Amino acid sequence: MTRKLVQALPPLAAFTVLLLLWEAGVRYGFLKPYQFPPVSRIARGFVELSTTGFPTGVSIWSHALTTILRVLQGYGAALALAIPLGLVIGALPVVDKLTAPLIVFCRSVATLSLLPLVIVWFGAGELTKVFLIGYGCFWVMLSNVIAGVRYVDPTLVRAARTFGLKGLELYRSVVLPAALPRIFAGARMALGVGFMVIVGAEMIGTIQGLGALIMEARTFYRSEITIIGMLVIGLIGFAISAGLMALERAMLPWAGDLDRVRR
Amino acid sequence: MKPLSRLSAASDLTLGLIGAFLAVAAWEISARTGLVDPAIFPSPSLAIRAAAERLTAETVADNLFWSLLRVFSGFLLGALAGAAVGIAAGWYRGFGALARPLIELLRPIPPLAWIPLAIIWFGLGEPSKFFIIFLGAFFPVVTAAYQGMRSIDPMLLKAAQTFGLSGVPLLLRVAVPAAAPDLATGVRIGWGLSFGVLVAAELIAADRGLGYMIINERNTGGSVGVIVVGILLIGALNLITDAAIGAAIKRWIGRWHGA
Amino acid sequence: MSQSPVMERRSPDTGVGGRGPAEAAFIRIDGARKVFTQRSGGAVPVLDNVDLAIAENEFVSFIGRSGCGKTTLLNMIAGLEDVSAGRIAIAGKVVTGPGQGQGVVFQQHALFPWLTAVDNVAFGFRKSGLAKAERCRRALELLSLVGLDAAAGRYPREMSGGMQQRVSIARALALDPQILLMDEPFGALDELTRIELQQELLRIWEARRKTIVFVTHSISEALTLSDRIVLLASNPGRIKRIFPVDLPRPRLRTDPGFNALYQAIWNELST
Ligand SMILES: Nc1ncnc2c1ncn2[C@@H]1O[C@H](COP(=O)(O)OP(=O)(O)OP(=O)(O)O)[C@@H](O)[C@H]1O
Ligand SMILES: [Mg+2]
Repeated sequence: MTRKLVQALPPLAAFTVLLLLWEAGVRYGFLKPYQFPPVSRIARGFVELSTTGFPTGVSIWSHALTTILRVLQGYGAALALAIPLGLVIGALPVVDKLTAPLIVFCRSVATLSLLPLVIVWFGAGELTKVFLIGYGCFWVMLSNVIAGVRYVDPTLVRAARTFGLKGLELYRSVVLPAALPRIFAGARMALGVGFMVIVGAEMIGTIQGLGALIMEARTFYRSEITIIGMLVIGLIGFAISAGLMALERAMLPWAGDLDRVRR
Repeated sequence: MKPLSRLSAASDLTLGLIGAFLAVAAWEISARTGLVDPAIFPSPSLAIRAAAERLTAETVADNLFWSLLRVFSGFLLGALAGAAVGIAAGWYRGFGALARPLIELLRPIPPLAWIPLAIIWFGLGEPSKFFIIFLGAFFPVVTAAYQGMRSIDPMLLKAAQTFGLSGVPLLLRVAVPAAAPDLATGVRIGWGLSFGVLVAAELIAADRGLGYMIINERNTGGSVGVIVVGILLIGALNLITDAAIGAAIKRWIGRWHGA
Repeated sequence: MSQSPVMERRSPDTGVGGRGPAEAAFIRIDGARKVFTQRSGGAVPVLDNVDLAIAENEFVSFIGRSGCGKTTLLNMIAGLEDVSAGRIAIAGKVVTGPGQGQGVVFQQHALFPWLTAVDNVAFGFRKSGLAKAERCRRALELLSLVGLDAAAGRYPREMSGGMQQRVSIARALALDPQILLMDEPFGALDELTRIELQQELLRIWEARRKTIVFVTHSISEALTLSDRIVLLASNPGRIKRIFPVDLPRPRLRTDPGFNALYQAIWNELST
């Protein structure tokens, strides 16, 4: 424990020095405060953001909540559709082969490129954003679920066969658990996609949400607010993916480090 | 054995083509029979006809050229920088201790969230787009390179040491090849991300490129058909380039690393 | 064949301590200990106070239960693992790292997966200053020595475990080291190949005058090959007993002396 603390000291010191240099650089006019808002200004901006808000009345928390809710709606819908569908497609080789190129193509369609089309469908409101998130998450999740089921280690299946397992029972007691690590990995990848999409989608046609916040702040030359918004986005993404990882470890204690699952 | 597997591969492809054909047919029919309104989601044939009317090959080629130029340059430099930093952070302890916290802090921020800051730093022109595409490639590659370096089988390094290798030759001859499979995975993810970032950047702030082409069509109240064709074109481009990168990686490490 | 230079050099009174003045020892292990620190911070004593003197051109085998520390001791001689306490010296020079004339055949082969068999072996000629073509030619020669000419172009993942092990042996031989440290090198081989390679190893040992430290789980393999057999006990690893093998080579399993020693080692191992 103490060794860890000692190890963390030099980088910590380096960052403190870096931040001080930055602050001094702005103060003595080497860096433009608009381009590189110093830490003091970022701190003040944060206070403003969490009390009066930006634009006035909308605090950073409410921006964050809006963004999170949008992501979770699209993400949840995508998972709810993709997991059962993937489990079925993965179990039926013929269906898998029929749908494979289609799925690969739909996954290749850049999610945000759908934006102009989806605006035509649903207008520029909430549904458009949720739909885009859902689209991005769905295909990533679907292809991972299918792959998880299809590429279960064949020796495991053979071993189970020697115990007389077959059909649905084999699927439920061997294939499914063996596919779970890959399914979890897919869920984490999909979440990353969801956050990526939301930031882009919020940059157009809304003033609510973190993506809108950072874009709006720029047009008002409030770069410190942009930076705070970025950090909050990163923090939320990190927290959610750490939560998923913890869930994964609790549910799949037998699986190794899932970051090492080849994709 | 060989012809048989080739046969089954061929039948896989046939099945896939049949599936794709069925999907396109279903789309065409549902638009023709009025199941979906062709004005908001035209059938493929209508979309292509509309696109052929409104777009010249020259405009498409020009936008395509700009998109490709942006994504290739940003990706190439981003991946190179990511590989260099990740490998160095994995190999040199001191550098790793400094670089890693910074990378870990910035990594969870999606590349698109850098757009406003990129505009603040570099203005509305090409450099800001280059910058975020660069980031799109940089973070996946740097993470993968670092992880690859940290998970090298220590026996391989030891074995090489018994032959007198150390320092930079040990790094370049043994550690980097050993980390190559992870690096390759990162490169592939980085490409996908760069591409997604490209399209988004072109939608949000650009005056040429495929993303601009479709958002402009919608902003000027043009034809939905053109938008649909543009989306498919972007998707196909992503698919083809990703396959090309996959094939290049396979040529690079596939022989010894397996599928 | 029966009277090799190595044989002549050996005196009848070989044994621990009985090996004459300390300077005669080529590899000298003095009070070596090894403690692994775990990630959690705990310390695991793996080797405790190992003393051993190995003469030049001697063939010594380590035998002992799985996990008793044979690989660890070998890696320490190779300079690949630090000594927690005590010291290990080769020809009077304290071992500080690899590259002091030790060639290693690793238990897990440790082949470079991105190199073909022949390139893996050629890796052993890196510091030799030979031209590329010459390195390749010699690598092929070594591969045919271990019976693998046909697999020269294959990558490790395309070879069986035994084939990989033979490539690993060929690679260590390429270095032409003074000291060969071999960790269960014939473990994954069929009986016939194993006996062929044992004979080949003895031939190389006698012709090239090498010092060999050899880890094995097979008592009869140790008896067939070695001048002395070092029996290690576990928890923590230490030398339990050393058996000199004063039998003329080639050794036959039917030899009564062979059998008596086999029985003695067996008894010691199983108590
Ligand atoms: N890096 C390590 N960290 C902690 N403990 C270790 C480490 N390497 C080895 N050990 C422990 O040291 C002991 C000796 O290991 P070693 O590999 O030397 O055994 P061995 O005699 O070669 O066994 P085997 O015959 O199975 O190859 C074992 O109990 C092992 O668990
Ligand atoms: Mg061992």
